[in-house]
Formats: sequence, structure tokens, C-alpha cells
Amino acid sequence: MSMAGDRPDVVGSYNIAGKTSFYAARYDEIDRQAICTARILRSFGFAPGSMVLVVSMVQEIVQFGTFEKGVQILGMYGINAENSPFDAGRVEAICRQFSPVATCGVGTATLEGLKSFGHDPATVFKGSVVWARPEAYAAVAALDGVEARRIVLLGPAVALECHHGGLHYDNRDWTLTTQDGTLRLSSRMPRVEPLDGLDTRVAGTVSPLPCSCGAKDAIITLAD
Amino acid sequence: MPVQSFPDYFDPVETASRAWLDQFQEGAIAAISAHAYASAPLIREVWDAAKIKPGDIKSMKDFLEKAPIIDKDDVRRFRDANGDPSGGMSRSIPGETVSIGTTSGTTGDPTPVPNWVTGGSEQAYARDTWHMGLRPGDHLLHMLFTFRGGHRRRHYAQHGITEVSFSIGPDEVARAVEGALRYRPTIWSMTSTPVLLMLEHYFETHDVDPVDVFSSFKGAIFGGEPLSGRLLKLTQSWGFQMFETTSLGEVSGATECKMHDGFHAYDDMTFIETVDPVTREPIADGLPGELVTTTLHDRLTPLVRYGTGDLAVIDRSPCGCGRNHARFKVMGRTTDQILIDGRSILPREIMGLIEGHSETRASLFQIIRSAREMDILRLRIGYDAARLQCSLDALRDRLHGVIAEAIGVPLHVELIDEQELLKLGPPHKIPRVTKQ
Repeated sequence: MSMAGDRPDVVGSYNIAGKTSFYAARYDEIDRQAICTARILRSFGFAPGSMVLVVSMVQEIVQFGTFEKGVQILGMYGINAENSPFDAGRVEAICRQFSPVATCGVGTATLEGLKSFGHDPATVFKGSVVWARPEAYAAVAALDGVEARRIVLLGPAVALECHHGGLHYDNRDWTLTTQDGTLRLSSRMPRVEPLDGLDTRVAGTVSPLPCSCGAKDAIITLAD
Repeated sequence: MPVQSFPDYFDPVETASRAWLDQFQEGAIAAISAHAYASAPLIREVWDAAKIKPGDIKSMKDFLEKAPIIDKDDVRRFRDANGDPSGGMSRSIPGETVSIGTTSGTTGDPTPVPNWVTGGSEQAYARDTWHMGLRPGDHLLHMLFTFRGGHRRRHYAQHGITEVSFSIGPDEVARAVEGALRYRPTIWSMTSTPVLLMLEHYFETHDVDPVDVFSSFKGAIFGGEPLSGRLLKLTQSWGFQMFETTSLGEVSGATECKMHDGFHAYDDMTFIETVDPVTREPIADGLPGELVTTTLHDRLTPLVRYGTGDLAVIDRSPCGCGRNHARFKVMGRTTDQILIDGRSILPREIMGLIEGHSETRASLFQIIRSAREMDILRLRIGYDAARLQCSLDALRDRLHGVIAEAIGVPLHVELIDEQELLKLGPPHKIPRVTKQ
């Protein structure tokens, strides 16, 4: 039994190497990590009242619930679309109508969906920050006029790149170690579902150096 | 520590008397009118044009006689004229707006709907699911899209409910079955025609007993469009009780109770009325008319006298569930209705005629409506190529014969692979009526 008690508020999921697993959490676990997210978001200097588009799936509540709470903490407004080809039209409509300062969670499903609907991703995201999932990062980085940043899901944890290029994770909540070349995730705060050495299958190491953005949260160096 | 027992109703207002609700609405209608005039540019525009001020609304009688009715066309006109995505209906209020949701976007650009910390539909569903039997300590299987509020929602957790979250798709439906067996949820929120079809396919291709899967469920919320007769029977065979839900003027929801005798519009949250769809003159309760809604609590999207386009009948008599809140039954959408030789036809009438055939059991179809009055009923019907057991001509002839006999008007049937139809809308539904 964990220190937080047995009853979770929500059961989301995480996917590692094609295998999806349930993951239970309490909202206090999700919300406390939003402080780290807010520190990373602050490095971009977004104004309060700005719109931020979150591209995710409902079962990614544990990962993106934290991001959304960070958006709220800074007085910005989150708006949502699905990370699927079917909902790419919503991504285009939201970007055209609201000009969000940033979009978080773009994957190849969204990029392919945009193209199938006849939309140029460079036009859709022009002038904004886009946190791309690993499989879509190279394509987003190649878009003219788009500030590409990485978002990496480490099981139920999230690493998010700041304005200075540091790929931060919440090292108050999580411990990452490298074993056999991949990052292993352990919880270090009370959790309804503690983890101990979960192999994220993400190749990389934790940097011993601080980031120049001013956020104290540890950064990851991904392996090539 | 004493063991806590829980009340039968989630909120005491659910069992308020009709007289109390009427008195409450008198005050709330004046308050929301003043707020809407101050906050929603479209309301101010149409009220100014009608030379009406909030101070003119001192009673429900004043409201019904003086307040202008708006509809989706007004919202679109304002949006296009002013470059306002909300169509002059929404306002983000710092400190109150938590995030921005959007409508489904089935018929155009999604409309933004600012979210308060707990939205009206969430408050209503909390009452509905409690009524179905959800209690603290239970699990709720949450299957929905993120655009309905993202990851902001906390209200179930605040009442001791654990949400098990899924998106909508074949793989997720398979995981939801796994989750149902593992967590034994009490409620499934929400299902839709595509979700039930995915479940049907899953059980046809897996050695899993649906009766066991759904044995812990006390109910499921079904939305998106009316529940078809075939799917109702199918879910009944699984022991899975459906509670249909519908939208109330874009920003709230209304759901059936255990009596299954209409959708409950909670009178502390929404005032509903019906009017003649053409003249906009009031229609008495019990007679069909266009459903018009006024929010009584949503400060961020203060819809006042919003014509929903739904043809409905209102009943304000006490319900067998113990509530005195208004109920309504929806017959269809005014914009979906077509007249052929004076015969009124709505999509739900067609649905049952198509789903009885193996190749078209998903009942994916569209009415081609070039005008409200037409000489011939034109239908585009989707078929499942994998279930095709005869030629397309033979299928077309069979469907034509059944539909023509039942509807009794000139008919043209066009067949199309249902996968093509599914590309026309969001994944949960397609436009049932189209111009071409």
C-alpha cells in the first residue's frame, strides 16, 4: 500500500514499445507536477490569456493533465484536440481561429491528418511553438516559421523542452537512471501506483548540468 | 468512525417542488438576462435592435413576451461579420474561465465554449449518474473526446469516483473491455452508435461473454444521435442499460432517467420552452415545437432564448423518478426535416429501415436535402463491403423496396462504401442531412 492510500482518482495509461498499460493516479500527483511544467512554460514568456492547444488522447490524462494544469497556473487557456487523423480538422480550425501561442503533443497522426484534409502544417502552425512527439519531431523541426520543441512521454512521466532547448522532467516526483542505455523511471513521491525502475525504452541519460533557462528541473540528453 | 450512507439524490434541488422551481426561474431569468446583455455581444446586438433592455425583464411573463430568440444562423452571422469565433456568445472571464472547449464541428468550424471549473453538463451528468447508481468508491468508465473539456475535469474525483479513461476507437474499445473486467465500473460514459458497433464487432471476433463484461454496470450514457432499435435490443441482450442523452443548446446536456420517458432539463440550470419554428410564437407544453433554451447559470456562454433547431415536446408534470424538473422528447431537427408530397420525413424514420440489413447494419446514411420541400427522397447509404453477400444492384433494389414501401414517396438510393461516409464527419457521427 502506498502512502497516498489505495483509491485513485483516475486510471489513464501509458504506452511503451507498442504495449499499453493502465496507470492509476490521484489528481494531487498530477497537479503537483504542474509546477515544473509552469517553470518550463515561463521560459517562453507567453502572456497570460494566451491560448495553448493540447493535442492528446483521453487516456493520456496522467501525462497531459499535468501540462494543462501548468497552462492554467500561468493564467493561459488550454484548448483541446485529439491526436488522431480524424481530428486534424479541429487542429487546423483552432489554429486558424485562435492563433494559439503553442501547440503541445503533435504526432504523426495529426500531421498526416492535416495533409489528408489539404492543410499545410507549416501554415497551420506558423509563428508558434510546437511540442512534437518523438516520431513527429523531425517533420515539425523542418517546418518554416515554427519553433519546434520536443515532448517525450516516459511512461506516465513527461519530459518537455524549454525555450533554451533543455529537455526537462520533474525530478522531484521522478527518478531517472540509465540502464543498458535506456532511461528507467522510479517514483520518489507518494503515489497510488509507485514505480520502480520502469524501462521507458527511451535511450538517453540525465545531464548533471543545470539548464540556462532558469528552471531547476533536471534535463535529459537523448541518445542519437 | 460511523459508516456514511448516501442520499438517493445527488443534489437536493432535484426534488424541489414545481412551485419552488418556477419561483427560482423568475429570479434567475432576470439575472442571466442582465449578465448576457452585458457580456455577450450578440445578445446586446439583438436586444438593442429589438429596443429591449435587461431592466425590461422583471418576470417570466416579460421574458417570454419581450426577449428576442436567436439561433445558430445568428451566431454564424455574428461570427463572420465580426471575426469572433464564438459568434458573440461567449466571453472568457479571467479567474472564471479555466479552459476552452469546442463543439463537435459536425457541420462546420467547431464553436468555442469556455469551461468553468465544473461545466453545466458535468453538473447535470453528476446527478444523472448518481441516479443510475454511481456512488463514492465506484469506478466510471470514461470514453470521450478531449475537446469536451480536455484533462481539466475533477468533479467525479471530488465525489470519490475513479474515472477509467479511454478514447474512441477499435483498439480502445478492446482495452475498455479489459478495463471493465479489471475495474468493474458502475457507469459507462459515454457510448454512441460507433462505439456500440465496435463492441458488437469485438464480441463477434473474441471469445468474451458480453453479459459478464457488463455485469457490474448499472447504466451507460448514450449520445450523438438517437439510439436505434437494433442497437437497443443488442445492448439489452448484453444486460447493458442505455440512458440516452442530448445536447441542450450547445453548452449543456439533458439525459433520461430510469423512467426512460424524456430527457430531464434541470430547471435550476436551464429554462426550456417551445415555439413555432416559423412564426416563433409560443407553443404550449405537450405540443411539438422548436426547443428554445436559456441557461440560468452559465456566465461564460450565456445563451438566452437560443433556438436549438430540435423539434420537441415538453412535459413539466412530475416524473416517476421523483423529480419535478421539465422533461422533453425530441422528434428530430427542424433543419433535417423534408417534405415530399406533403409527407414529413426525418432521419430517425429511415434509420430503422436500413439497419435491419446485414450489409448496412451500421445504418450509415445521408438524406440529400436540396430544399425543405422536394419531389423525391434521395438517400446515400453506406454498406460494409466485408458483409456484402450479393451484388450492389441487388442490395440497392432490396433497400429501395423496403424503404419505398414504408415511407411511400418517390425514392432514389445511392450506395457508397461506408468507409467513405465515415470520412465526412467526426469519428462519432456523420451529418445525416447534406445538401449534395
